[in-house]
Amino acid sequence: MSDKMHDEAYYKSLGFMCGLEIHQRLATAEKLFCSCSAILDELPPRHDVIRHQRAVAGELGEIDRSAKFEELKDRSFMYKLNDVHACLVDIDEEPPHTINRDALEIALQLAASMEMKVPAELEPMRKEVVDGSNPSAFQRSTLVGLNGRISVNGNGIDVPSMFLEEESAGIIKNAESYAEYDTSRIGIPLIEIDTFPYIRTPKEAKSVALHIGTLLRLTGLVQRGIGSIRQDVNVSIKGGSRIEIKGLQELADMDKYIENEVVRQQKLLEIAKLLKSRNAEVSESQIDLTEIFASTESKLILSSLKSGGSVFGFKLKNFNGAIGMEVNPGRRLGSEISDYAKMAGVKGIIHSDEDMGKYSINESELAEIRKRLSLSDGDSFIMVAAKADIAEKALRLAMERAKMAMEIIPPETRAVDNRELYTTRFMRPLPGGSRMYPETDIKPIYVSDEMLVSAQERRISVEEERSKLKSEFGSEDMAERMMLSTELPLYREITKNASIDKQFVANILLQKFRELQRDGVDVESIGNERIKQIFEMFSEGAVAKQAVEQLLRLAAKEPKAAITEIIKANALGRITGKKLEEMVSKELKGKDLSDRNALPLFIKSFMSEHRLNVDGSELNGIIARLSKSSKK
Amino acid sequence: MYGKKITEFLKSNGIEFGDIIKVEAEGISEEGELMPSTEANSEEIIILKMKNGYNAGLRFDGAKITKIRKGVPVHEFPHSKITQKSSLPKVTLIYTGGTIGSKLDYKTGGVYMLLKPEELLYEVPELANVAELKVDPLFSISSEDMSYLEWQKIAKQVYEAEKEGSRGVVVTIGTDTMHYASAALSFMLNGINIPVVLTGAQRSSDRGSSDAFMNLFCSVVLAARSEIKGVGICMHKTSSDDECGFIRGTRARKMHTSRRNAFRPINEGYIATVSYSGEINYLSKDAEHAKHDKKSKEPMVGFEKNVALVKAYPNSDPGIIDYYVAKGYKGIIIEGTGLGHTPVSTQHENYSWLPNIKKAVDKGVIVGMTSQCLYGRVNPNVYRNLRLLSGAGVIYCEDMTPETAYVKLAWLLGNYDAITAKKMLNSNLTGEINSRSDYEDFLV
Repeated sequence: MSDKMHDEAYYKSLGFMCGLEIHQRLATAEKLFCSCSAILDELPPRHDVIRHQRAVAGELGEIDRSAKFEELKDRSFMYKLNDVHACLVDIDEEPPHTINRDALEIALQLAASMEMKVPAELEPMRKEVVDGSNPSAFQRSTLVGLNGRISVNGNGIDVPSMFLEEESAGIIKNAESYAEYDTSRIGIPLIEIDTFPYIRTPKEAKSVALHIGTLLRLTGLVQRGIGSIRQDVNVSIKGGSRIEIKGLQELADMDKYIENEVVRQQKLLEIAKLLKSRNAEVSESQIDLTEIFASTESKLILSSLKSGGSVFGFKLKNFNGAIGMEVNPGRRLGSEISDYAKMAGVKGIIHSDEDMGKYSINESELAEIRKRLSLSDGDSFIMVAAKADIAEKALRLAMERAKMAMEIIPPETRAVDNRELYTTRFMRPLPGGSRMYPETDIKPIYVSDEMLVSAQERRISVEEERSKLKSEFGSEDMAERMMLSTELPLYREITKNASIDKQFVANILLQKFRELQRDGVDVESIGNERIKQIFEMFSEGAVAKQAVEQLLRLAAKEPKAAITEIIKANALGRITGKKLEEMVSKELKGKDLSDRNALPLFIKSFMSEHRLNVDGSELNGIIARLSKSSKK
Repeated sequence: MYGKKITEFLKSNGIEFGDIIKVEAEGISEEGELMPSTEANSEEIIILKMKNGYNAGLRFDGAKITKIRKGVPVHEFPHSKITQKSSLPKVTLIYTGGTIGSKLDYKTGGVYMLLKPEELLYEVPELANVAELKVDPLFSISSEDMSYLEWQKIAKQVYEAEKEGSRGVVVTIGTDTMHYASAALSFMLNGINIPVVLTGAQRSSDRGSSDAFMNLFCSVVLAARSEIKGVGICMHKTSSDDECGFIRGTRARKMHTSRRNAFRPINEGYIATVSYSGEINYLSKDAEHAKHDKKSKEPMVGFEKNVALVKAYPNSDPGIIDYYVAKGYKGIIIEGTGLGHTPVSTQHENYSWLPNIKKAVDKGVIVGMTSQCLYGRVNPNVYRNLRLLSGAGVIYCEDMTPETAYVKLAWLLGNYDAITAKKMLNSNLTGEINSRSDYEDFLV
């Protein structure tokens, strides 16, 4: 049985379910619902706006669980505003304008590319968000495509839905009762592509993400760079729960995060089984333990007491050892409980499966804690040190999580915790389905036949692109590398000129760029336009093949200089035709070429002197011609 | 709204909004909840709320629609379990409509008002610590559809609330014409001895970012705790959710179509501010602090509907004056240019307003002059043209906004004879005119 098959069979036996949500920013000139620039420059903020948000009953009446949870955190939000990047629409002070037509066209193009069905009328919705990342407390999102299908490595993957939505604000600071956001990127058009949860293995998840990423890049109409694409993964196993891992930016490690999530759910299920068998219980009552620490040496507790804090704790009957059980590398059940408590604004919890020496809590203090909480041998405790109201809230959340440990794995949205260990931490409960209601400020969009026909004409196929690249390079490996490269759209633009040496272009974009970067050359600063120009001049014969690299180096150093100027200033123009012939015959004059090594030696020395200006094959041709005529 | 074809189909197949149906159309086959259609939707589109919460509009023509099951009955609005404290000051909340205090019911498309205190407290639970609330739903009218008949009802209701022991009254009202209403209530309730706080929302209260929550909270604080007597508007002072400003009812004006801090005081500062934590800060020297021990005067709710507000502008047709005179109007407020001009000494005779105004005044119509500058005071003496107008009998309305002058004239004519009304138009009744122009009162 091959590894792959083994993998598949193994994950099937676990009841593995996995689906992806891919978010990609579009490279339109303007934002989705206003005329602010959608291109991000780092301009300093000039205004601050403070807002409070609260969960409100949605379209179907109930307040969304996740929204309610954020409200519990009772925070205020500050929005930093730069007038170039954000206007009144972005800070919820003006109704949205009509939808950006360019963004809609890209969305329809993608829908066509994934063989999706498009509803006759698109209905913009509000997706409730109360973490502050939208000043309006909702994100505008429109379903554009349904029932799509892509083929990844020969396997059909269902893509049930695609949405066109607004980017949220970027978080600057996230403190206890307050968060700060940058409003510049709010409202940049964003595409969300969802797959069904039928991805069979963590590795397949990665392939699907790569495939969709390639499709998006092939449009040439998506933003590049950090944060412009984000992958969310949904994972569950039998008996477990759906967990959404948010914001994976590095595709290369996606499978490892998924593998870890599977392990985490397995371990949590084991813990639940254990606790059930022990008849474990979580006490509902919080006990004030502050007095115990009147003369403590624990710095952590002392600093909290000094700023008016208290110490509260609660009992976990028959939990002994369970809180300290590892669920993922470097993470225990205690870490999961701690994540919940942190939502109230505490830095963490202290639990009895930890070494109390770590906190400088001494034996007698420990004995006193156990006494006050009436702990027996098999019992555990959790405590926090913070201001009374915060501590109370934190313990309430910790209790809630500890209780769940005996029963279920809570459905959660999780964020990356440790990039080296590929672990995640709790962010918030998984949002339910009730957080959508119609965006009444925007007219529904009627999709005309013309729009659909135009989208079909712009259809993109990843498979077609792959086989085209294979035939262009004659190398499967190189084609694959180009497929994964962010330079693919640039490659396509450069090679619109059919006569250009495609392998040479690909080598520069894939190999040479990386080498240059390693040499400390800032390739990004060359700019696509100038890169295109360099290749154009090469293709027209204005510069020699060997000069291309040098030109790129110089262009990176001088981000503002025109390529023609760089060529002139550095004498990088190609010497060709008659001029080259004259040069060669002048240097050959009087030379004894009788030795069979003489000509190759001459070519070598000539090239070492003129390599940047002369094309080797042209030189060979000239010399062959000259020596023929001289023999005559 | 669904077109005739769809409506008939739904009816004959016993399908109602909220029912779970299956729609197969143009390669799409989806199960979901049937949603109502609004006037923004195309008539031939079926709107389906899918399992993922999104709505999709599917073409009805050629679609196969089957009813899967009956929908769950319309949702009841959640109620708060908070109990009211009778030890707190009694505040009556009068609902008149607008975005504040109402919910859109997406199943029926209708507006659902939060009529019970427990519904309101569910939304703004912090109110329970400020006042013992009585909610008084009067009507539900968009502010642009409101007329003086509603203002009269509100004034009477406020007076009743005070008689029944309310320490203050909050009136929630649509924002578009709130400054007309606040002016009208200021005159009608001139002599009221409690705070009457008008408030509204620029963002509807079904979004988490709505300004309604803070506006309502600060308004209830003012009604329950402030020493202010009389009518004013309490809304966001800045774009931030940090404090509200209280503006005298006759001095307020909506100065922005959509911002939270759209309401500004004109030719006066704020009377007071209220922070989101409930602190009141009195800003105006002449804020009318009052001990709430006197009995309020009964409201005077007369209102003459035959009063017009007319704008003068380059190329404007003065025939508009004749039109109103012919219709039997008793008063006209002109929103003039600059210090209070209309075209007078025009090169082209037809454009001069002077003869028309003269004719109107001669017929006994009261003509008042205000300025479209909004800020500053009109003055009848600086230019010859002004003197001509003033000589024609136009009353210069000092530093009143055009809207306040209009409401005042209509109210005066509804309660007094024309001679008295004319006399009272440019003398101060309830803070609408100030004989001094403070340096700081521009663009506040």
